[in-house]
Amino acid sequence: MANAEQVNPLVPQIGKIIKIVEETPDIKTFHVTTDKGKPFTPMPGQLAMFSLLDVGEAMFSITSQGPEHLELAIKKVGMLTDALHEVEVGQAVGIRGPYGNGFPLEMMKGKDLLFIGGGIGLAPVRSLINYTIEHREDYGRLWIIYGARSPADLCFKDDLFKNWPKVKDCRVDVTVDKGDADWKGHEGFVPAFVEKLGPKPEGMVAITCGPPIMIKFVLQSLEKLGFKDEQIVTTLEMRMKCGIGKCGRCNLGSAYVCLDGPVFTLAQLKQMPDEY
Amino acid sequence: MLKISKDQIGELLNIWAKGAKVFVPQENGGTSQFKAWEGQGKLTLGEGNALEPPKDLFFPRTETMYRYRVRDPEASLEELAPLEEKRVLVGVRSCDARSFAIMDDVFLTKGYIDEFYRQRRENTAVVALACTTAQPTCFCTSFGIDPGRAEGVDLQMWPLADSYLLEAITPAGKDLLEQAAALLTEAADEKVPAAAQPSLTADVGGVTEKLQQMFEHPYWEAVSRKCIGCGACTYLCPTCHCFDIQSENRGDSGYKFRCWDSCMFSEYTRMAGGHQPRPSKKERLRNRFLHKLQYFPERYGKFACVGCGRCLDRCPVSMDITRVVREVKEVTL
Repeated sequence: MANAEQVNPLVPQIGKIIKIVEETPDIKTFHVTTDKGKPFTPMPGQLAMFSLLDVGEAMFSITSQGPEHLELAIKKVGMLTDALHEVEVGQAVGIRGPYGNGFPLEMMKGKDLLFIGGGIGLAPVRSLINYTIEHREDYGRLWIIYGARSPADLCFKDDLFKNWPKVKDCRVDVTVDKGDADWKGHEGFVPAFVEKLGPKPEGMVAITCGPPIMIKFVLQSLEKLGFKDEQIVTTLEMRMKCGIGKCGRCNLGSAYVCLDGPVFTLAQLKQMPDEY
Repeated sequence: MLKISKDQIGELLNIWAKGAKVFVPQENGGTSQFKAWEGQGKLTLGEGNALEPPKDLFFPRTETMYRYRVRDPEASLEELAPLEEKRVLVGVRSCDARSFAIMDDVFLTKGYIDEFYRQRRENTAVVALACTTAQPTCFCTSFGIDPGRAEGVDLQMWPLADSYLLEAITPAGKDLLEQAAALLTEAADEKVPAAAQPSLTADVGGVTEKLQQMFEHPYWEAVSRKCIGCGACTYLCPTCHCFDIQSENRGDSGYKFRCWDSCMFSEYTRMAGGHQPRPSKKERLRNRFLHKLQYFPERYGKFACVGCGRCLDRCPVSMDITRVVREVKEVTL
């Protein structure tokens, strides 16, 4: 899947931030384009190496895209992301990709889709939600279950409360670990919320992403509900440097998450070392 | 077959150095490494291999990838000119020649070609030197490597008492012999010497399949106890290829470089936010041995060890991969 236009896959294109959306106190979504338009056209679930040239480069999921831009939702957690949260519209950035396998669209065709996200983990899943909404006739019912630490930490609020509930046969359920005075929704952790809502596994594929600990418990909840390993899809995160399966560090057994992942079914994960 | 007197090896290197940069094992500050030949130097072409593997000729320990200029909010990027320097690598042993095939798998296959590696690799001719004496730490034959004849090289040399025999393998090797025609004579009576016979062995048959069942085995806790996580094994290993990418800034300009990294270090896998998939030396050491003996064979169909013995020769706590192989095969599941 090498990008033919990019002669040296380790050298980024220069892009520009054209819009910044403050999602939560520590998450911003950056809209990125280049002089030639969209840097590249990723499939849902694929990744981009994104950089401030003089600070650092890291791998992020591409949460959405338009005809002329890519969107990356980035949580402030380290040196590069701290610096990114300081920049303004117009900032030049480096971007290369797309990397990784993306979600198994063919396998999901015609199925009901259950999306389970926690915190910033909704970012990669959102690329698939938006894709299935655009190709609505190819998929069954859509069900989005999402949770965050607090109401202020809910990401993509416009989508959760306005856009997605309006889509035909699309249900959205939101929980927070702990509410505030104004919160009238559900309180509790995502895995327990999923079990309480009790989705039926027949004809359904579950897609989940969140903090590693949430993923582990959601997988258990889904198994309890009767989902088979082949019906559960998750997308992983690892430290990455090259993005093209050479620098070594993102291996899970003999697979590289940057190249062979980041999307794996639970059936695949069970064949691999538990080291993520 | 042709031969050259050992007295004339400096002249041979001088001739090759006219058309290319020649790298040959030389003594350098207490260690031996493949160093550029500049007309003189203390060659270490006798018994034993260079302490430092030749991998840095294709995959330098530090390498600039591109330059940039940042004047917020603007930034520009400048790619480097293609590397066109021709090189001749002389005195490569059979084990290290195999390591090039392993590195080729990493850097030149699976969908992406690493341009930095490719340019150096394609511009380099490799002259192998057969081993007639094994060191106590050598076990290349365990991986089906012939110490008397290297794979994938352009020219093969064999040491005799006072001379070297030479045989061109590829057109590039033939060209090297033609350049040096004045120094070479026909070898009439001399025979190719017997290859070295390492006494150390690693019985790697079936080890991949055994390791596939051993990820959770307590063996890793036990074997990793003495490891101090120094990473010397990964730096001396001719097939360790992990790298880091970092920036170096001066004022508003800077460059992006990559440098060798090591799976023995905690920083290697530690993620922003603190999540650490390999929190202790047990997981890190396990990953290194599994990479050599299980993951690489699964991914590329060959072991990522060539039996050069550098890691076990230099490990400060005498970690020995041949013993690990033996113990892995012995433990009960």
